[in-house]
Amino acid sequence: MKERINRSVLLTVLALLLAAPWLLPAVGFDYWLDILAEILIWSLFAASVNLLFGYVGLLSFGQALFFGMGMFGVAIGVAKLGLGFWPALGLGMVVAVATAAVAGALAVRLTWHYFAIITVVFSLIFYFIALSAKPLTGGDDGTSFSMPPMLTLGESELSLTDQTVQYLFILLVVGFAFFVKYLIVRSPFGMALMAVRENDVRASLIGLNVYFLRWIAFVVAGGFAGLAGCLFALFGRYASATYMFYHVSGEGVVWTIVGGAGTLFGPAIGAALLIVVREELSNMWEHYPILVGIVVILTVIFAPKGLMGMWNALLDRLASPSADGTKKDEGPREAIETAVAPVKGEAGP
Amino acid sequence: MDIVVALAFNGLVWGLIIALIALGLSIIFGLLDIINLAHGDFFMVGTVLTWFVLEATGNYWIAFLIVPLMGFLMGALVERAVIQPIRGTAALSIVATFGLSIIIQEVVRAGFGAAPKRILPPIEGTIPLFGIEYDIYRIFAAGVSIVAIFGFFAFLHRTKLGTWMRAVRFDRDTALAMGVPARTVYMVTFALGFAMAALGGAVAAPITTVDFQTGVDVLPFCFMAVIIGGLGNLPGTVAAAVLLAVTEGIVTSFTDPTVARIVSLCLMSAVLIARPHGIFAGATR
Repeated sequence: MKERINRSVLLTVLALLLAAPWLLPAVGFDYWLDILAEILIWSLFAASVNLLFGYVGLLSFGQALFFGMGMFGVAIGVAKLGLGFWPALGLGMVVAVATAAVAGALAVRLTWHYFAIITVVFSLIFYFIALSAKPLTGGDDGTSFSMPPMLTLGESELSLTDQTVQYLFILLVVGFAFFVKYLIVRSPFGMALMAVRENDVRASLIGLNVYFLRWIAFVVAGGFAGLAGCLFALFGRYASATYMFYHVSGEGVVWTIVGGAGTLFGPAIGAALLIVVREELSNMWEHYPILVGIVVILTVIFAPKGLMGMWNALLDRLASPSADGTKKDEGPREAIETAVAPVKGEAGP
Repeated sequence: MDIVVALAFNGLVWGLIIALIALGLSIIFGLLDIINLAHGDFFMVGTVLTWFVLEATGNYWIAFLIVPLMGFLMGALVERAVIQPIRGTAALSIVATFGLSIIIQEVVRAGFGAAPKRILPPIEGTIPLFGIEYDIYRIFAAGVSIVAIFGFFAFLHRTKLGTWMRAVRFDRDTALAMGVPARTVYMVTFALGFAMAALGGAVAAPITTVDFQTGVDVLPFCFMAVIIGGLGNLPGTVAAAVLLAVTEGIVTSFTDPTVARIVSLCLMSAVLIARPHGIFAGATR
């Protein structure tokens, strides 16, 4: 029943998202189409944090580095190198993934607190480099560019300057990325990642290459963050070093935790909720971040599995009132627990 | 050459203040296993409280005395409200302190304003020192930091509470079994960490700006000191803070501060990867 409800909710949301460019003007909320696009981009960014924290157990406070790399790849590609739409997008992705590959090779040697700290340090290093490399990046002011056309067919051209085209393009890309993430999580590779999350010692004992798995996950997560950065650069037509700062990474972590780490759509829900709160509250109450901070702390204390965890627990309880929500975990995780059960004993640090 | 000497001295003074703040960060990590992302904001709260007390009384020295006490009380309160409930979930403590940092910064922005302000040094004048004229207040600030750091180590080694703190850090389970009141120890540790950051803020307020964002700059520096000195290695933290600040001060006299910062961040990543227990740890891990 849980799967059925979740699937129908997902399909409804998807249908609404697809219809939004026509629905929103009909009810007089044109302005929300851009906010929706922004939510989609930041959901992808949160998905990147989630892939590492929710599925591999590595809490990264440095995903903004790859976001910023994607942004600068696109912006510098268009503004400085005169690239077209697709080559610039490709440049952004290549730069982000390459950075993630190098940074990851060093970072995933560490775990826990050390990993969180080194990801912050890496993003700070590049933040300061981007700040001081003014001729290339524009520093704090950033680099802005004018949108190159996406597709030219004779006289007519398709470009993101059209709000609807832009929204649908972002929806398509983000939707595709989430589908890829779904495939990853479902694949044997995803199972292996979760085995590493649950207990890296056991995982290595059953023959998994823990270092390599973490590295691949780091690179894929960097790719997601980079893609989000590319989209955000195209969306805002500029790139700025401020998006590399660790506070941006922190926001991604907050969205992930509030929405529910380790669930496919939890981070997207967290991002959507907190961005809507921001849009609605920032006009009324200048100091709304206080509320965000309180929500974060309350979530950590009372609902460490986030909104999605609460929702799933609620559905479980509705399905079987007697079970009392003790079996909240999803199938795959249990499967791994039993698969690794024989080597019980020496737990990790 | 004079400029190098001046900047090296500035680095030394700043390093001692940072050492004071970083010690707080280090004991909170060592004892409570919490990466405190709000620690820079504790420092910032110290500077802001100093400004408020100065406004209210017109006397810096009153602020100098009561700001650490206020920091201690706030620390105890924060520990009770935020840290105690999340003791079971170590990974999420980073997230909780990030939320705490957002709250503190925004409350200060609401109450104090977004515009940076300055406090005049309570001791004016300069004295000749190695061929340059150096501010007396900065020398005083360095002296206060040194006294506070020594005071802290004396507290840790000479008092019952300090012994308890060392015992809990050394072996939590045995300490609990021997009847050490863990809750009190945790609360005092956190409150002490806050108080030391606040004292650092009170001392540093006349030589930096008072601004709701200063914590964001101070935090990475404190982390560098703690990491390079070795997580939980308290004397190492002090040494690393001074070393880093003096180096940055000297490097700054040749090139711009951002490059100096990049250099120390790279140094820190190298230490993290090669010697995660700090450069002062023995060869064995």
